[in-house]
Amino acid sequence: MGAKIKVVERKGKTFFEQLYLIEIFKGMAVTVGHFFRNLRDNSNLYVRHYPEVKPEITPRWRGRHRLTLHEDGSIKCVACFMCQTNCPSECIMIEAGEREDGVSEKMPVKFEIDLLECIYCGYCVEACPMDAIRMDSGVFSVTSSNRENMMIGIAELIEPPGAFNEDEYQKGVG
Amino acid sequence: MTETLLFYGFGLLSILGALGLILFKHPMNGAMSFVITLISLACLYALLSAKLIFAIQLIVYAGAIMSLILFIIMFLNIGESDLPEERGRWFYLAGGIVAIGPIAILMQRAFKTLPPGETAIVGDGFGGVQEVGMVLFTDWLLPFEIVSILLLVALVGAVVLAGKREVSE
Amino acid sequence: MSLLDILLILLRIAFGAFVPLSFVAVLVWMERRGAGFFQDRAGPNRCHVMGFRAGGLIQNLADGVKLIFKEDVVPAHITHKFYFILAPMLVFVTALLCFAVIPFADVLVIGSKEYIMQAVPLDIGILWFLAIVGFGVYGIILAGWSSHNKYGVLGGLRAASQVISYEIPMGLALVSLLVVYGTVNMTEIAQYQGQLLFGFIPMWGVVVQPLGVIIFIIAAFAETNRTPFDLAEGESEIVAGFHVEYSSMKFALFFLGEYVAMFVSSALIVTLYFGSFQIPWFATETLLFYATEVAVAIMVGLPIGAYFFAGWIRKNNKSHYDRPNDPRRREATVYIGLLWLMVMLVEVVLLGYLVFAQNGIADRLLVMILQTGTFLIKTTMMCFVYVWVRWTLPRFRYDQLQKIGWEKLMPLALLNIFITSAVIVSFG
Repeated sequence: MGAKIKVVERKGKTFFEQLYLIEIFKGMAVTVGHFFRNLRDNSNLYVRHYPEVKPEITPRWRGRHRLTLHEDGSIKCVACFMCQTNCPSECIMIEAGEREDGVSEKMPVKFEIDLLECIYCGYCVEACPMDAIRMDSGVFSVTSSNRENMMIGIAELIEPPGAFNEDEYQKGVG
Repeated sequence: MTETLLFYGFGLLSILGALGLILFKHPMNGAMSFVITLISLACLYALLSAKLIFAIQLIVYAGAIMSLILFIIMFLNIGESDLPEERGRWFYLAGGIVAIGPIAILMQRAFKTLPPGETAIVGDGFGGVQEVGMVLFTDWLLPFEIVSILLLVALVGAVVLAGKREVSE
Repeated sequence: MSLLDILLILLRIAFGAFVPLSFVAVLVWMERRGAGFFQDRAGPNRCHVMGFRAGGLIQNLADGVKLIFKEDVVPAHITHKFYFILAPMLVFVTALLCFAVIPFADVLVIGSKEYIMQAVPLDIGILWFLAIVGFGVYGIILAGWSSHNKYGVLGGLRAASQVISYEIPMGLALVSLLVVYGTVNMTEIAQYQGQLLFGFIPMWGVVVQPLGVIIFIIAAFAETNRTPFDLAEGESEIVAGFHVEYSSMKFALFFLGEYVAMFVSSALIVTLYFGSFQIPWFATETLLFYATEVAVAIMVGLPIGAYFFAGWIRKNNKSHYDRPNDPRRREATVYIGLLWLMVMLVEVVLLGYLVFAQNGIADRLLVMILQTGTFLIKTTMMCFVYVWVRWTLPRFRYDQLQKIGWEKLMPLALLNIFITSAVIVSFG
């Protein structure tokens, strides 16, 4: 391995550094500079005023899951159980049923995700052969005041549209 | 009037604290009751206008020495099971009372010969830092220096004892 | 005792008891917002009552309500419940008692009577402080020990050994200071610092004892268990140290005690080394002599200061994002209105003083208020140094801490005593 090794000179050997106090005053000068810069004009703060100003998220951001639909509005998922099998935190619970609309043979009767268990790893998205589950809903704040609401079913999963257009998303995935 | 009441109050507290030191089984309880004794003694000094002695009693005994003792008790972390079983404790107590009896009578006789005192605050800076310092460093200079040498010897002895590290085979 | 006597005694005791307590709120606020600004973030600024956030001070109210209504748990494994409950009280009460001997203004002379402006007019001053500080250790030891928890015991051990070992350099630094001042009485110490060295430098402790002030401040930081010496609550190693088992108001008492101790030690540093209530170059007599001029100067200076302060509020109290009909702007308007109202009030009082009540008790009262204000401002600045150091320096390692205390500070303090005594004996 041709790793570059850079030998850094060890600080703290000279007399003035051994005195500590001088170095401490130097450090304090740095911090108080920041303090007064922010005190003089608090628009200098490097913070986002979160609930009002939302952060920008990229197409690769893994937000809450959604189930995608065909053009005609039928569900893409064919209940192949790939995502459920692949899920490391075992938060996906699918119940398969007969499909009558002719798109495929199977469809999920129940598709539940326990968001309290989910670790947002995105393996379900990678495993899906039908591009039926995606994490591009753009919902990054998943909160609830009770456990029941964190268990979401098909209705909630097909509800949000994708937060990005198809080209952007494909670029992010590719 | 208030002074006399306070005097009796603190006197009672100091006796109770000393009793607690002897009677409590757990070392922490004993140490804490001894702290009460030391504080009430300091308050007695304050009532007798000995301001400097009051402060020094609090700083040295109540503040430094007793907190070291508490520190050690905490360090050893003694549980209920580590305490020795004190068999015949009441027997020893009775023996102690019998032994102390004559001394107590002697003390009482000695105190009776003392002139009656007042616990009112004495003015003219009696017992202040400057006054005690003047007396200590003029009339009592030699004893003071001898005592400080004694303390120094004790300090050196402690360092020697603590510094000795014998390697066991 | 006349009515005036009783009134002044009440005033002094109220000052000694309530000023440290109300400063706790200010200090917590200063610590949090200060921490925010030091680290380029905002700090708590959302809590509000009817839209008024008072720059984040309302957060303290929310915290207080939370701490009061939390469940007060005494864990079942604690056998010595008495000590467990006693410990936070001790920490808090000892911190508060230390403030009792600190003078906040010069001796007030009314008629032929003199009133010493300390909560408790003791003339053993600094010795009282040393005595009471020693008791603070009991609280920590008892808390750590009675928690019956290894983190608690470790934290208690660390805190206690730290406080005990730093009391020595602190005491030695004080010795050389007392050699200079020649008294232990706090009011006399403060009066001494009103003199001028060579006729133009204020004779503050920091000028006559430059080495002593460094030793004393370092030792005071260690005494109050503040960063960089807050090993007692090293979160990364021993969770929270001696208060790990405490909840609700018992924890709050530790918290209050910490901040009161910080305030008191700042007040002590100011009293001993930074001129106490003395305004530099304006000793009490000078102030009394030029009382009229000083009052006029305040009357002129106050509106100018208020104008700039109002401008600062206007600039900074606004929402930093698009918000229709910004409520924070309206808030700022109210604050600025209040500010001008207060300025008007002070101006009216001073005008009344100038017109009606010159040359009498009013002069002395004016000087007393000025000195109290100076003392509080200096103490607040010292507290800011505490906050500043806390958000600048990392924590020491435990062996480094003891090494600095015993191997560096103590010989330095002894050297300082030697030099000071030599100088005093040869020149004094």
